Amino acid sequence: MMRACDIMAVCMARLIRDGETVFHGVSSPLPMVATLLAKAHHAPHAVHLNIPGGVDPHAPRLSDITSAGEELWHGAQAAFPLQEVFDLSMRGGLDVAFLSGVQFDRMGGVNASVIGSYAKPKVRLPGGAGSAVLIPTAKRAIIWRTKHDVRTFPPQLDFLTARGNVSDIITPLCVFSMFEGELILRSIHPTSSIQEVAASTGFPIRYLSLVTTPPPTDREMRLLEDIDPADVRNIEFR
Amino acid sequence: MSKLTGLCDAIQAIPDRASLGLGGNTLNRAPMAAVMELARQKKQGLRLIKTAGGMDVDLLCLAGCVATVDAGFVSCETRYGLCRHYRKAVESGAVMANEHACYTVISALRAASYGIPFMPVRGLQITDLVAVNDYFAPVADPFTGETLYAVRALRPMVSILHAHVADEAGNALIEGPLYDDILLSRASETVIVTAERIVGPDYFTNREIKANIPHFLVSAVVHAPRGAWPNACYQAYGVGDEAVRSFLALTTADQLPQWLERRL
Repeated sequence: MMRACDIMAVCMARLIRDGETVFHGVSSPLPMVATLLAKAHHAPHAVHLNIPGGVDPHAPRLSDITSAGEELWHGAQAAFPLQEVFDLSMRGGLDVAFLSGVQFDRMGGVNASVIGSYAKPKVRLPGGAGSAVLIPTAKRAIIWRTKHDVRTFPPQLDFLTARGNVSDIITPLCVFSMFEGELILRSIHPTSSIQEVAASTGFPIRYLSLVTTPPPTDREMRLLEDIDPADVRNIEFR
Repeated sequence: MSKLTGLCDAIQAIPDRASLGLGGNTLNRAPMAAVMELARQKKQGLRLIKTAGGMDVDLLCLAGCVATVDAGFVSCETRYGLCRHYRKAVESGAVMANEHACYTVISALRAASYGIPFMPVRGLQITDLVAVNDYFAPVADPFTGETLYAVRALRPMVSILHAHVADEAGNALIEGPLYDDILLSRASETVIVTAERIVGPDYFTNREIKANIPHFLVSAVVHAPRGAWPNACYQAYGVGDEAVRSFLALTTADQLPQWLERRL
């Protein structure tokens, strides 16, 4: 059976190109695994940047408790902590930032802040972390979200935490990409269908052609097992 | 001059309504022993400052110690999930969440450490955060006219940082990931260091590796072995799973004193 966490990790890894600088933050198990997978699979010179600041941590023993812990420091050769990763993005040197949120609109806007009013919200969300500065300044902000329903993709956001250079949104059902300022359906995972994606999205789905996400290859799955034997990539689905 | 103090005395010196910087990041090396002592002493109206908070912010919210939280992110990350007490406190109006991008906390602390009132940043071009918060404002580059966004300086009255090693004078060394602790030490009016280990006055003199927090920035040093626990502390201990889970399972503030007792 094809698991959502595997197809999502693979889709995210495939978006990373060789030589790119790539950052993920806290609460980011899937981006952490995807970055390591890209480096092992097709992008050996991608640069893995993270909050503790270990550049390109070698074979870290991944933790399901944190994606900002000491395992990303051990086995690194250089120190480049969060403050400097942000500085890098501000001066135009960050290629990819992985971010998430709770609501996303048709124009690639992200809400990670509140449902309801800001001062006295109905639901206080964890907050956008670096989103409000990284989404406009990183060359590509890649969003992942392990839920895909009409509340996740509403016609209108409750609050706009950030808009900017969102390039792709990966969900358990599909991959959206930005095209001429709008999200379009780039590919549907083999486990889903256009009907399911349309019924689970609160705005009309547009696409250039109907494409099925290529399933994870044997090599991708083998590498995933090597990188993440403890199945940290699945924790958001547990 | 020895600055070595007991935890209780060091925390008693922090007044109600103080702005308080907390070291560490999410469940990594927050000064939890000090945080628990703040809760025991029932501080009021604290204004917390941190890029990414976790159990520290959540515990102080449950204890009713907090007025505002200036942070980019507050969560116990994926295994443990949302900070429910923080969330409830904000939703009820008891606590004001001043949402930052993590970088704007860093920029605000940098402004304080540079002795200037604000810091211009890139980003924040398209976000509702600018409209709803008075600590962000557009600012024109005086040389080109380009619009950037200014972030108002944040100067914590005190920051509490958990270090691996400190001497009695206040020289302290944090090993491994530093998060924003070094910046907090420079941006704050004063610093309380809790440390795993207290060393003699010649410890740093005789070593290649020097303290990364110098004594003159520090007002108190507390010997606090396992002082970050149940947060993780680099190469010393990992997250205390049962303690985090039992804390997050608390539903009301009156259950907290008993939970705190069990941690002593």
